[in-house]
This record gives sequence, structure tokens and C-alpha cells, in this order.
Amino acid sequence: MKTKFMQLSTEEKRVLARLKASLALHMVEEASAADAGLQKICPSGGVSMKLGIRGAGPALGLQVPKISQILPAPPRRPSLLLFFPNTEAAVRVFSGAKGAVIPVPLGAGAFSALAFFRKASSRATELLRAPDTAEATRARLLLAATLYGLEAIAGESYLERRMQIVPDGVVGVRAGEIAFRVAKKGRTIHVQRDAQPGDALPEDAPPAAATGSPHLDALLSFAGYRSAIDVLSGKRQAVVALGSGEVHIEGLLPLVQGLFAVLDRLSWYLGVEV
Amino acid sequence: MNEMTDETSGAAGSPSSSGRSAGAQDSRFAASMAYFERAARVIPGGIYGSKSPGFLVPGHFPYYLSRARGSRIYDADGNEFIDYLCGYGSQIVGYGNPAVDGPALEQARKGDLLNQPHPAMVELAERLVGLVDGMDWAVFVKNGTDATTLATSIARADTGKQVIIAAEGAYHGAANWCSTNVFPVFLQAEQRDVRFFPYNDVQALEALFEAERGNIACLILTPYHHPTYKPQQLPTPEFTAAVERLCRAEGAYFIVDDIRANFRLDMHGSHKFFSVHPDLITMGKALANGYPISVLLGTDGLRKTASSFFITGTYWMSAVPMIAALATLDEMERMGGTARLAELGRVLKDGLESLGLEAGFRARVSGPPAIPYLTFDEDPDLYLNQRFCAAMADRGVFMHPHHNWFISLAHSEEDIARTLEAARSAFAELSSSLATERP
Repeated sequence: MKTKFMQLSTEEKRVLARLKASLALHMVEEASAADAGLQKICPSGGVSMKLGIRGAGPALGLQVPKISQILPAPPRRPSLLLFFPNTEAAVRVFSGAKGAVIPVPLGAGAFSALAFFRKASSRATELLRAPDTAEATRARLLLAATLYGLEAIAGESYLERRMQIVPDGVVGVRAGEIAFRVAKKGRTIHVQRDAQPGDALPEDAPPAAATGSPHLDALLSFAGYRSAIDVLSGKRQAVVALGSGEVHIEGLLPLVQGLFAVLDRLSWYLGVEV
Repeated sequence: MNEMTDETSGAAGSPSSSGRSAGAQDSRFAASMAYFERAARVIPGGIYGSKSPGFLVPGHFPYYLSRARGSRIYDADGNEFIDYLCGYGSQIVGYGNPAVDGPALEQARKGDLLNQPHPAMVELAERLVGLVDGMDWAVFVKNGTDATTLATSIARADTGKQVIIAAEGAYHGAANWCSTNVFPVFLQAEQRDVRFFPYNDVQALEALFEAERGNIACLILTPYHHPTYKPQQLPTPEFTAAVERLCRAEGAYFIVDDIRANFRLDMHGSHKFFSVHPDLITMGKALANGYPISVLLGTDGLRKTASSFFITGTYWMSAVPMIAALATLDEMERMGGTARLAELGRVLKDGLESLGLEAGFRARVSGPPAIPYLTFDEDPDLYLNQRFCAAMADRGVFMHPHHNWFISLAHSEEDIARTLEAARSAFAELSSSLATERP
């Protein structure tokens, strides 16, 4: 049953606004790293900005490095704040509808950051939808959206008991060369992005192997990019993919299964009508 | 979390796959897979609940079983397995045992679900009241959930108190009050007055009784702790003493949920095995060797309240399972009863632990010998369980990686020997694959 934004509780409005904002930022981040076109138009010093939503907690930050920068680049001070006067405005804007948003320059490069953010947001949507997008890129965007979505909603009170009974631990999520780590602790979920295909790393960046392989309490792996796309886009039921071996889970199963329940809640949020 | 300390666990903590890939096994389970694909279109989840493929190791286990005989099960593709899940414990004298099926099928021909109960209901109630230690009356239902829900409801009605206490991780059924469907709408209603404590933790239990003093209707416990995904725990004498003392002081009823163990430990009930004295007992699973029936047994003190309950279900008084239950009780005794189950279980337990050790693993079989469960001390995340059980399934032995196993009286010494032979090879495969994965 579809829920309308106005029917949500204050907490749900706040969670939805932060979720939408978080997804927008992470999509820009992933698209920028994966898409050569976006890298070309990325300002020379990279992009650093914040999104602030009144009534929805602390501002969310975005750092997009120019790949030619020598990593690791120190985080830059944000040059721009995109401020939304209320949660509804944020949800509307990030759902593609009209809504109030106030760009607040915080330093030099504010306008180029704003221009880049707009183009990158639009490009991320295009990459997700365009049939000619490389499977690795689509899978990467979908996985990022899903996992950062979990991170954004994990603390809400609806999920409190669920999060209590899910054991703490780290789940590795893999599809082809895509690798994320999802750490569940108490009522929080933290997503860590490991090396991704298409990441343009500087020549002196340390190889992934040199960073060591941390212990994973569970592993969720997709047989390939296509399997990840089909499952994450809803084209293929996760349970069928699991049964057919296209999706594989190992290790501490209640940890992964518990996150599936959070995923159901994420789907509910994404289905809210503005 | 779950830091591992030895070489073996290091490899277990860096998994790459659990043995052979699902794809390599596809042809072995082609029919199962085809049914599953069809099922997913018309049944939520394809196969729901504890039988879901994700609960096993997909690619190594069948999804659909077509038939069974004795200790063997046969899947939709015709693969044969020595079975240690026994229909999740419902089989105790063997699949298709003619001593049970004979009278049951004869009654099926005469009539199963009738307007009024069959006389067998009286015979079975008398038999159970005479057999199960300390119990004075019996009410028949279908599933374990029916029995545990009825038990807690009777306790609440009798005491006029709301709170139910249960152990963390214990399974008492799939009703909203006890299920893992922790949606807020249930948390605010059926689950609102259910409290949990860590099993065997006397201090935590005392603290909970103190915090809820005057509000506790009952404490429900399995006779020993058999949580999913974890080693089984037997109760300590201090814990059982505290349970009885606290319930008495609070005026709360003590319920033993014996659905799973049910006659596998003691023909007089598992509470007898552990020397505890419950007010209510639920039994099921193997009660009728797979025919659908469970029972709530109670003491005289609760007879009046039970009598005042409107207890009914369309199928709750069907005759065939009652006939089957009577025959199962006879057959269990004829086949050697709990002593034989324990003996077979002990051989399996010792064999698995010893073979595991030989292969360099800290494999440990927990729980009573008749209801064993193997885990690896070096791998609480269960990667090794999954690999081991997948390897056993590849060798024709059905051992669940996440749920305790069951010995039945249909298992033979030869079955156990064949199982241990398969285990030797499975441990070797596990050891070898881990060695290959080490950097």
C-alpha cells in the first residue's frame, strides 16, 4: 500500500528526507568516480559541499575529488550549502519535483560546485536508467543506493527491536569487482566503500591487497553484475536469486537476514508518494 | 567482533566460497530448481520459513523432497540422503514405519475428521497423562505454536497477569507473541509483554523477576536451550533451581516447551530428564511420527481454567494422528526407546568430534546425544558449518548447517558408520580447501 508523504509521522518525514539526501549525495559520489564525462567537468580542486535540511538533523557532506589529484587528498572545506527549509522540500526536490532550496555560498567555487552537483545528479539518474550503461557501473550505483539507504534509515524507532535482535558484525557485499563492507553495530549501520571497478586511482595508490583483508562475519555475493542489477532493481526476486545460486550468503546468516528486513523498510520509504 | 585466534579460523574468516559452486550442483537438483522457480511465482518467498533455501546452503541441498523410508529421504531429482533432520524432529521411529502407518491409514479409510472426537482421543489422553511425569490433563492441538500459545494464554488467564518471560533466542512458535516478526504493530500489541533474558543466567533472570514483580504470568523455557545458529546449552542445576524458586515466589506458572525434544530424552518427558517440575508442558513433533498433532499437558491446579477456555480448531480432533500417536509410543518402546537414541547419538558425537580433531578442527557436538548439533569453536560465524554440511550433503548425508539434528530409532549402526565415513572425507575436503585459500 502506497503511503503519501503527508501521512508520515514527524520522525518518518525526517528519516525520508535524510534518506533521499543521502542517496543523492552518494549517487553523485559514485557516478563521479565511475564516469569519465563527470570527471572531465569536475572542478580542478574537486567538489566539497553540504546539504542541510531544517528538522532533519546535522548537514550531510559531499566530497568529490578530481581523480588527477594525488590521493589521499585532505578533506576540503565545503564551498556550498544547499539548504532546504523543511523535510518536504528536500523530499520533493530529491524526488524530481519542485521544492524550495536555498544555495548558500560558503567559499570560493560555490557556483561551480552547484553546477557540478546538478549535472552529476542528473548523470547519475541517467546512468541508472540508460540501457547502454556498463553493467559494472549500474550495479555499483544500485548497490551504493541500497547500502547507503540502509545506513540512512537504520536508527529509526520502527527498526529498533529489529536492530536489537540482529547480531552485530560486518557483512562483505560483493558483485564482480565491486566490494562494500556493511558494519552493523547496535542501532547503526555504517557502509564502507572498498575499491570499485572503474575507479581511476592515481599511479601511486596502494594496491587493494596491501590494505589487508579484514574479518567478515558474513558475505553476501552476487554471481555477477547482471545478477546484482536484476535483484537490486526488483526485476528478480531476491529469494529466487538466492535459491538459484545467483546470490550467495555465507557466514553469520542472521546478520544478513536481519539486514534484509531493514531493506524491506527501505523499499517502503522509497515507495512514499510525494 | 568474533575475533579468531588460530590458523584454521583465519582461513575461515576469509571466505571465498563454500565448496563447490551452486552452478556445479545444478544438474543434481534440476527438478528441485524447476519447482522452486515455479513456486516463486505463486508462493511468497517460493518456500517460506525454516524450509527456505537460504537457511541451507543453496546448490548443495535439495529444495523439494518426494519420499522417504526409514532413515532415508529422496528428493525431487531422486537423490538419496541419510537424514539427520527427521522432518525437523517429527520422525522418531522412521519414515513410513508400518507399525504406525498401518493403523493410521486404516483409520484414514474409516474416517479421519469427524463431527465428534474419536475414542482414540480418550485413550491417548489417558496414555499421556499416565506417561508424562506430573501431568493430569491433556488438550490436543495441531502445531507447536497452538500448544505454546494456549499454554501462555491459560497461564495469563489463571493469574490475571500479563508478562511472559522467555529465553533470548528460544523458539516457541510462529504466533505474533513469540515470532521473530518484530514489526512495531506487534511490538505494541502481542509482543508488548514478553520479556527476554540470557539462558542459564541466574542473575539476569532474578533481575527480570524483580523488575516485573507482580506482573509475571509465566516463564516458558525449552527443556534445554537449542537456539538456531548457536551451540546448544544444557541447563545448569543452579539455573533450574532458580527458575522453580522464582516462579513459586512470584506465583507465575512454569511452562516447559518440549515440542522439539519430545520423548527423545526421556519417555516421561524432558523435564524428568532435567529434574524440573513444570505446571504446563507442550509436546509435539515426534509425538505421532510426523502425523500432525501436538498436545498441551497440565497440572490439576490449572484444570479449571483450561476447562473454561473455548479451545477449538477445525482439525484439532482428527482421529488419524491420535491413532498414529498411540502406535508411535508403542513402537518407540519396541525399538529401544531413549536409551538407543542416546547410544546412537553418542557414537555419532564421538566420531564427529574425533574426526574433526584429526583434521585440525575444534569441532564440537553440543546438546544431548539424541539431538546433536555440530559447530566449530574457531568459527562462531558458521562458515565452517556451512562448508561442512554442504560437503556432507554432497556425500548423501543431510545435516542442517544451522539447526540442531535428530537421531531417530530408524538410524542404524551402519547409517552412523556411513555418516562418519562421509565426515572423514568432508573434513579432509574442508581442511584442504582452507589450506589452498591461505595466502
